[in-house]
Amino acid sequence: MTVHIASVGMGRFGKRPEGLVALAAEAAQTALEGVGRKPVDLLVVGTMFSHGPHGREAFLPRLAGILGLESASGFRVDSSSGTGGMAFHVAAHALETGRFERALVVGAEKMTDRSTAENTKDLSASLHMSEVAAGATMPGLAAIVAARYLERYHLTTSLCDVSTVHARAMAAANPNAHFQKPVTLEEVAASKPVALPLRLLHCSAISDGATAVVLEKGAGPATVLGLGQGFDALRIVDREDLTSFAATRVAAKRAYEDAHLTRKEVNVIELHDAFSPFSMITFEDLGMCGPGEALEWFEKGWVGLNGRLPVNPSGGVVGRGHPVAASGLAEIAEVALQLRGEAGAHAVGTPPRVGLAQTISGIGSHNFVTILGREAR
Amino acid sequence: MSAGPGLELARCGACHSRFLPSDGPCPKCGARDVVLYSAPAVGKVLAATELLYPATGWTAPHPLILVEVSEGVRVLAIGEGPLPAAGALVEVRRDHDVYRARPEPSA
Repeated sequence: MTVHIASVGMGRFGKRPEGLVALAAEAAQTALEGVGRKPVDLLVVGTMFSHGPHGREAFLPRLAGILGLESASGFRVDSSSGTGGMAFHVAAHALETGRFERALVVGAEKMTDRSTAENTKDLSASLHMSEVAAGATMPGLAAIVAARYLERYHLTTSLCDVSTVHARAMAAANPNAHFQKPVTLEEVAASKPVALPLRLLHCSAISDGATAVVLEKGAGPATVLGLGQGFDALRIVDREDLTSFAATRVAAKRAYEDAHLTRKEVNVIELHDAFSPFSMITFEDLGMCGPGEALEWFEKGWVGLNGRLPVNPSGGVVGRGHPVAASGLAEIAEVALQLRGEAGAHAVGTPPRVGLAQTISGIGSHNFVTILGREAR
Repeated sequence: MSAGPGLELARCGACHSRFLPSDGPCPKCGARDVVLYSAPAVGKVLAATELLYPATGWTAPHPLILVEVSEGVRVLAIGEGPLPAAGALVEVRRDHDVYRARPEPSA
């Protein structure tokens, strides 16, 4: 059963006054209007944080009520920062069974009403408890990964700076991105240390935001061609390699096989750079270049809007902001916008025929790859 | 089986993988036939960092060190003393639910 993204709804990411449900409803209403408010019989929502003053409790039924979708079947999923990707895959697989006609998928998060320490603690829930017991945090383990990568390929922290400069340049063209201003290599290198080699501007920002898409049966300009996911050991000490994410490699292999295409046919990529070196690692894990070679692609501008293979035209997680459960769906939505010719100022130079979105949960414990195309295969 | 002095590691009876003990099965093959054994407590630093914005309950800077001990087993430890460089030797010990690493005395 072929399914396609019929519409996308996305508000501005960043510090927003609205609560979680209002953010989600805004994105959802836009997506529903995009299909002329045709009936939806499946609602899949994702949010990571489940307590607080913004109506996170009973998120799914509250949203269903606001949207008038009480007759739809509903599911709520959580895979930390991969939640949006998981929600999309759940909905796509459900439609592929033929049981449902049209699905609304929503990923949303409200984070800026919490302290950095609270967010750090709750985000650590996606890590192994034995490593959290040692004081590990997301930036802490990302720093360990980055240090291993830099050492293995004899690179310097300028790699992280280059990635951030790329992300912020892309974000400056995206009106929905958290950051609207480019940064220089010098500004990134001078930002305050978080967990060296990572500095503040190497890390994605705490943001509020929501993304929604409507998935329908049949083919369209953003047809789902391939879905893949992969797991890796939750405890990082059990991983075969820390300079690559096995979960991405597995997810990509499955998605390419599902889509019956190779990485050479991909024209645009939206990947999950929760920390700037992850963009390089992921580019390699997707098979776009050899291990340790991604830096050249970023330094030479081959991943720019008019480059050989544009990466993160939305600004990615570092530039667009990171409302965790919204990000994975925002990655897929961005690829859909590019394929549908609706990306506006951040449209890639050559209209793509095939696009790929990659989403990471935690420090790469459960990753998703989604391939969309302008035509069904 | 309990281990003797040194650092307690685990060996899978099915696939013979070596790994850091946990409450779960072998992380490689899922077998529950796991045997504990004692290994030298000295290892090589693979990566080290200091968290300047640690989670609630920890004090900045909070040092985290990834150490490779015998037979490729890795340990994520809290650092003690100056932050070591990659390649340095450290002594690892278990302290209740966590591991701690300090510069190897003879280094």
